[in-house]
Amino acid sequence: MPSDDLFAAEGKVIVEAQKLLDDGRFADIGDRTLYEGLLKDYQKLLRTTRRLMRLSDRNEEQLNALSKEQKEANTVIAKHNKELDALATKLSKYLSPQIYHSIFTGAQNVEIASSRKKLTIFFSDIMNFTETTDRLESEDLTNLLNRYLTEMTNIALEYGATIDKYIGDAIMVFFGDPQSKGVKEDACACVRMALAMLRRLSELHTEWLELGATEPFHLRMGINTGYVTVGNFGGDERMDYTIIGSCVNATARLEFHADTDSILIGHETYALVKDEVDVEEREPIKVKGFAEPVRCYKVLGLYEDLEREGSVIREEQDGFKLLLDLKKRERAEAIEALQAIIERLKQ
Amino acid sequence: MRDPLNIEQTSRTPAVVFDYPNNHLKLSGESYPEDATEFYRPVFNALDEYLGSLGEGRCRFDFELIYLNSSSAKAVMMLMDKLEDAAKNGADVDVYWFYDNDDDTMQELGEEFGEELESAVFHLEKMAG
Repeated sequence: MPSDDLFAAEGKVIVEAQKLLDDGRFADIGDRTLYEGLLKDYQKLLRTTRRLMRLSDRNEEQLNALSKEQKEANTVIAKHNKELDALATKLSKYLSPQIYHSIFTGAQNVEIASSRKKLTIFFSDIMNFTETTDRLESEDLTNLLNRYLTEMTNIALEYGATIDKYIGDAIMVFFGDPQSKGVKEDACACVRMALAMLRRLSELHTEWLELGATEPFHLRMGINTGYVTVGNFGGDERMDYTIIGSCVNATARLEFHADTDSILIGHETYALVKDEVDVEEREPIKVKGFAEPVRCYKVLGLYEDLEREGSVIREEQDGFKLLLDLKKRERAEAIEALQAIIERLKQ
Repeated sequence: MRDPLNIEQTSRTPAVVFDYPNNHLKLSGESYPEDATEFYRPVFNALDEYLGSLGEGRCRFDFELIYLNSSSAKAVMMLMDKLEDAAKNGADVDVYWFYDNDDDTMQELGEEFGEELESAVFHLEKMAG
């Protein structure tokens, strides 16, 4: 309907009113003047109403256009956000989940910065990996290595490790940053993780042989606790969140000296985990940067596991602590020693 | 001498500057107040008082509006009526309506408002910049 039609009735009123004036129907000049004034005001009011209605319609039109633009902009933003999410998900696979989380939540700035912390560090390496896989096709080698790294990574994450890097088949992780449950708990978690990895490796042996490896893989693992510098290292264009320090080098050396499929830990780690982990002291090893040879221990297992197997007896109460390692002492000797203690107690 | 009227602009209300010594009055910005009557009441009062003492003097009123709602449009028409009445009574009144170059709505609205003025001189101009 044209806008004029909306005011057809008002237009008709004006025409008729004007006709009354033109016909000279007002004998009294005062009445005529009053009527003329009323008609003029009515005409003006009608013009005002038309203008306001037109303005209101235009404003509404503009608002609708803006609303449409806003919706389109929201669609574009949503699309970009989706692309960014997909990109972030891809990027996250290049970072340790803890590091990714702390960067994306803003808890950590992406800048060249570092701090000094006491961490427990872990190194593992597949012995003779290159020789063992030399005759494998590239695709098979890739599948095999990725399968191994995926399995080990899952275990590391399950125990709360921060994955520092993969160097070929070698894995470097640490505990205590960016999240820490305390130095002692971090060290225990690291040893538990290493033992879990060894268990999983033995399960993977069969699978690997079927894939074409000529012989089973074997691991060496090193664990050490100490102060390191942790943070972002590199340049503005490319940086790594990693750790540096002599303790890191010492851990690599411990790993190098570990027996096949075993874990070698440094003295500080041992001091933290000795209530939970059974060990056997080994010959100290020389490490560059350390004046004295580094004391080290081979992990034999968790006491709780050894207790279940029956090779260890543990009893701990307030003011009473007993640990009997039946791998290291004959059962008869142990009984004799305990009886001697009982005799002393009786006196 | 009366104090100049100076109301600062907000996101919903225009700036009002009545510079009495220079007889230059101005309304600029966007106008969609929550309560148009409440906002424009002091403006009407100040204009009435000013025009009442203007006599046959000269004054200029600038409208530099970017957006106005229907209530504000009615208030603007009432301001123009007051200016027109003053001009009818002998004052030398210039009304300037500035519109943004791309804003057809404000241009046409200005043209229509200008048609109502007979005694006051109406100027329709583009905003600077």
